[in-house]
Amino acid sequence: MIELDYTQVEAVLVRFIRDFVHKNGFENAILGVSGGLDSAVALSLTSRALGPQHTRALFMPYRLSSPHSLAHAQALCEKLQIEGKTVEITPMVDAYLKAHPTDNSVQVGNLCARTRMTVLFDHSERYRALVIGTSNKSEILIGYSTIFGDSAAACLPLGDLYKTQVFGLAAHLDIPAQIRDKPPSADLWDQQTDEGEIGLTYRELDQILYHRVEERLRVDEVAARGHVRETVLRVEEMITRSQFKRVMPPVAKLQNRAVGIDFRYLRDWKR
Amino acid sequence: MKIRAVQFSPRLGDLQANRDEHEIRIQRAREAGCDLVVFPELSLTGYQLQDIVFDVCLHHGDETFSWLEKLSRDIDILVGAPLEEPAGIIHNCALYFSAGKLRHCHRKVQLPNFGMFEERMLYAAGEEFRTFPVKEFTVGLLICREILFPVNAWLYHLQYADLVIGISNSPFRGLGREGFSSFALWENMGYVHSVFYHQNYLFVNRTGFEDGIGFGGGSFFAPAGKGIQERAPYLDEAEFDVDVDAEAVRRARLSGNYRRDERLHVIRRELERICHD
Repeated sequence: MIELDYTQVEAVLVRFIRDFVHKNGFENAILGVSGGLDSAVALSLTSRALGPQHTRALFMPYRLSSPHSLAHAQALCEKLQIEGKTVEITPMVDAYLKAHPTDNSVQVGNLCARTRMTVLFDHSERYRALVIGTSNKSEILIGYSTIFGDSAAACLPLGDLYKTQVFGLAAHLDIPAQIRDKPPSADLWDQQTDEGEIGLTYRELDQILYHRVEERLRVDEVAARGHVRETVLRVEEMITRSQFKRVMPPVAKLQNRAVGIDFRYLRDWKR
Repeated sequence: MKIRAVQFSPRLGDLQANRDEHEIRIQRAREAGCDLVVFPELSLTGYQLQDIVFDVCLHHGDETFSWLEKLSRDIDILVGAPLEEPAGIIHNCALYFSAGKLRHCHRKVQLPNFGMFEERMLYAAGEEFRTFPVKEFTVGLLICREILFPVNAWLYHLQYADLVIGISNSPFRGLGREGFSSFALWENMGYVHSVFYHQNYLFVNRTGFEDGIGFGGGSFFAPAGKGIQERAPYLDEAEFDVDVDAEAVRRARLSGNYRRDERLHVIRRELERICHD
């Protein structure tokens, strides 16, 4: 895994967030802050870009969320002097689950992620604040996210940083050790960890992704660098199976200029 | 000759907003007593134009063209813009206006078409690297990726260019432990222009973001024989002035004359052989 010049990373991402928020006619940004690493880093960068007075944090715990997560998120906001607000999602999620019960933890996880998205975008309008996403490159590439849930945001400042690089940036930004030192977790149930669910350490996952994506090495070349071939192929499968999460839904082309196919304009058109 | 380099962030596809920005900066350069003001590649339109290109490209004699002619009556202006000529054929151009008219149009020859670049979908390729006179200088223009082909600098070297201006929309990329590798590309070539081809070399790059792509700035001036002497900051907008000295070329040639020692007949013969083989 390649280490980065994190001073340069900070310089770019702070400018990216400031430019993006301002060119879209906003002064404020809002983030869902879980108490985990990614949202802590994204919050810190946003605060540096816009100032703490223009940065809002939402804490959206579910009844199964660890109380430590909320405590870490609140402590971070105190340190950064950012106003935080708690919106419990338990009443909304449980009202739905009461009507449509399930034992499937994936369904519950997706429901929580999409409920948080709903609350976040509602507060975007309340505060006139753009939603800054917290997804990192590792989870984007393997599809470890809920489509239209935690992946929904106006922009993704961490989207080109692998998880292990987010750790490096977190240290550079002086994110508290209690957030940096705990195992990454979607916090959907007790003892859940990302690495347990993915079946790989982020260290190994990121090495494989880096070789395949950045260096364009062949599968056998990656395996020759100390990885089990089947593991490399499993990561490959995660990438291809989740491609639908990384693109807009396809438009069925009928006429000369279909949106997204040959009607081609950047989001920043005239901004 | 006093030149103002403008490192700034155009607004994508908003010709009027960019014209307003140009006018402010041209006026400022005029008040500072500059002879020439240089903007980056596609300064009037932004870079990733896609379908916007058909709505914002310039035409000989259109209103934006006349506006540039008028502004250039008492200061030379180098801008970047797509130019449609003839109908339906668009080139990515560096347009040099002087004394109220277009003095020179350089059409980009090497159009990048890989990864995040798709210029060949939008533009026809130019065909020549021709110098033109400005005051006591013989000037050559380069646009972005052309700068990375040393042979282009050499073509101007053969024509005794003593001022080469490269305008760019270079996205920063290749981040590692030592920062972005893309910055070194331009600076290494600046060294080649200055030290090996004895050209006064000015590089003007843009800043800002278009969607997720950021442009690096880091514009610089490398006088003949000296390497990079002045450089604007990376990432942020900036303006700086350089006084270009035509005598610098002569001084540089006196201490190691690469131009005199060229053997064109050998190179021509070798090119013919290589092309034939």
